[in-house]
Amino acid sequence: MARVLFDHVVKRYGEVRALKDFSLEITDKEFLVLVGPSGCGKSTALRLLAGLEPASEGDILIGERRVNDVPAKDRDIAMVFQSYALYPHMTVAGNIAFGLKLRKLPKDEINRRVKQAAETLGVEQLMERKPGQLSGGQRQRIALARAIVREPAVFLLDEPLSNLDAKLRVNTRAEISKLHKRLGTTFVYVTHDQTEAMTMADRIAVMNAGEIHQVGSPQELYDRPKNVFVAGFIGSPAMNFFKARVDSADGAMDLKGNTFTMRVPRDRAPELQSYIGREMLFGVRPENIHDAQFTPTGINAVPLDVGVEVTELMGNEVFLHVEAGETKLLARVDPRTEAQAGKPTQLAVDLERMHLFDPDSEQALATVGAAAAVA
Amino acid sequence: MATAEAPATTANAPTTNTGRLARAVSRGPLHVLIIAVCLAWMIPTLGLFVSSFREGSDIATSGWWTALSSPSTLNLENYRQVLFTQGMARSFLNSLIIAVPATLLTILVAALAAYAFSWIEFRGREALFLLVVALLVVPLQLTLIPVLRMYATVGLTGTFTGMWIAHVAYGLPFAVFLLRNFFIALPKDLLESAFLEGASHFTAFWRIVVPLSVPALAALGIFQFLWVWNDLLIALVYLGGSATVAPMTVTISNLVNSFGGAWQLLTAAAFISVTLPLLIFFALQRYFVEGILAGAVKG
Repeated sequence: MARVLFDHVVKRYGEVRALKDFSLEITDKEFLVLVGPSGCGKSTALRLLAGLEPASEGDILIGERRVNDVPAKDRDIAMVFQSYALYPHMTVAGNIAFGLKLRKLPKDEINRRVKQAAETLGVEQLMERKPGQLSGGQRQRIALARAIVREPAVFLLDEPLSNLDAKLRVNTRAEISKLHKRLGTTFVYVTHDQTEAMTMADRIAVMNAGEIHQVGSPQELYDRPKNVFVAGFIGSPAMNFFKARVDSADGAMDLKGNTFTMRVPRDRAPELQSYIGREMLFGVRPENIHDAQFTPTGINAVPLDVGVEVTELMGNEVFLHVEAGETKLLARVDPRTEAQAGKPTQLAVDLERMHLFDPDSEQALATVGAAAAVA
Repeated sequence: MATAEAPATTANAPTTNTGRLARAVSRGPLHVLIIAVCLAWMIPTLGLFVSSFREGSDIATSGWWTALSSPSTLNLENYRQVLFTQGMARSFLNSLIIAVPATLLTILVAALAAYAFSWIEFRGREALFLLVVALLVVPLQLTLIPVLRMYATVGLTGTFTGMWIAHVAYGLPFAVFLLRNFFIALPKDLLESAFLEGASHFTAFWRIVVPLSVPALAALGIFQFLWVWNDLLIALVYLGGSATVAPMTVTISNLVNSFGGAWQLLTAAAFISVTLPLLIFFALQRYFVEGILAGAVKG
């Protein structure tokens, strides 16, 4: 009932096209995250959906209703702003009740709903305070309470966690997910943080320069990115890319870079058959490059000699910034590694989990799980 | 305030703390300068104030400071005479009747206009706002004769209504300019959030913008009230010399005309006329300072 549909929506600001032919269906009760770098158009999409700005072309539907010409207040949506947008001159109770009062609900009903929303978010004890007397985390909860109290069909959240400190962000992330499950309402969530997208979303839409690059579940985007942009954006630290020529030798397949050669595992070799002799773009995630001495069992990795530039100890793992010839790579290795900055070491690259891209179009040709080769 | 603070800081600074001492010494000249400026501003006013309690003959023969050594010569006679025989009480009331509505109306109209210029999209908004700002540079003297002729035709000369309209009109360009710049600096999210929650423009104006703009509105109120209260030119031109509608500024200037050198009455009248603005200023001075700064800091 509260499905959302963007149908070939375009948004222009003068000459600039902030959204180019934007089409996206968000199913009822789904938690959809729009993610992308700043200026990619994700907030614009949200503002169009909210009715804060008109679409230049195309249709926007909420439920079965075309809402292009419906004013924001009649769209049955609630929005949580990045700045929280709490009214500083009203108490917390006043803030939460504001929308209900404007809709002239009976007083008992308002009180009941405000109380319920406050309980849901655990802010009952703050009701008489002003927003200026609250911490960032508390304000964030009030903003959420103000949104849920109206019981809207669709929730819009515009980078709601970006003003919180790191620890609070992790907690609130989990709370928003719980809230989504409890309310059973459609959530549209905008963020530039791929971690938030990965941890909270049912589905993620990755955007760049006003276009959707890929829509899918977090796992799908991680394992089978459609192109270089998505592959580089999803996953932290980001995927390594390197160019190498595909060679056939002794009935097997080799990847030849400037200074290195890696033998492709037997089961991935057929995918490369049609690219023999061509220089292709390859992607390997940092977690698929291991210290040769501490390669997990069951992995058929190929050795790669590299020079270590920087080591970063994260506690449970070590990030190695290495170079093999002109190719710079980041490896996420076992903390017991003996690799030291400025010295050579041997890594083991799990090429079974490599991604193959067309170097010109940057589209994916083969990804993890060979069956999922993308058009 | 500067005079009270300067000695306090030097007294508090421990002599053992060389850093503080150095700071006090380096700031010394600044404090002396501030005190000197304050005194230079205050002494004539003090002189006027003392004179308002002296006999006319005393004022003519000796300086006001001589009265400080013989306070027994001071009395309230000048005030009694001004208030009860020169019609100052009536003028005080007239000034209020003119200034209060002229101030409130200006704030109301300017706030509504400033809201539209900040938050309602319409064609020609920028051009219209530029026009309003451009009106700031038109000298009001230019308008006196045409407006007076128009007033004469419609019968607004010599009426309070005519004064209200004139003062609101003259005050609006600055008022709209000041408030628009304040309103537009309010966080956009607040207004958008209100619209999403079902607020109309009027609700957003009344429930969000006005409460958040109290400092700017108060500052504008003080400005406009002082301007109207102290106005002589507009009152003389549009009201004429009639004593029944004359505000205090007109009555005071008439005192000079009819009494020539009646200094003692003039001083008392002047102090009666500044009492109310002073009271308002001190009551609202917190907003006054905030209001001037708020726009600058926020923008």
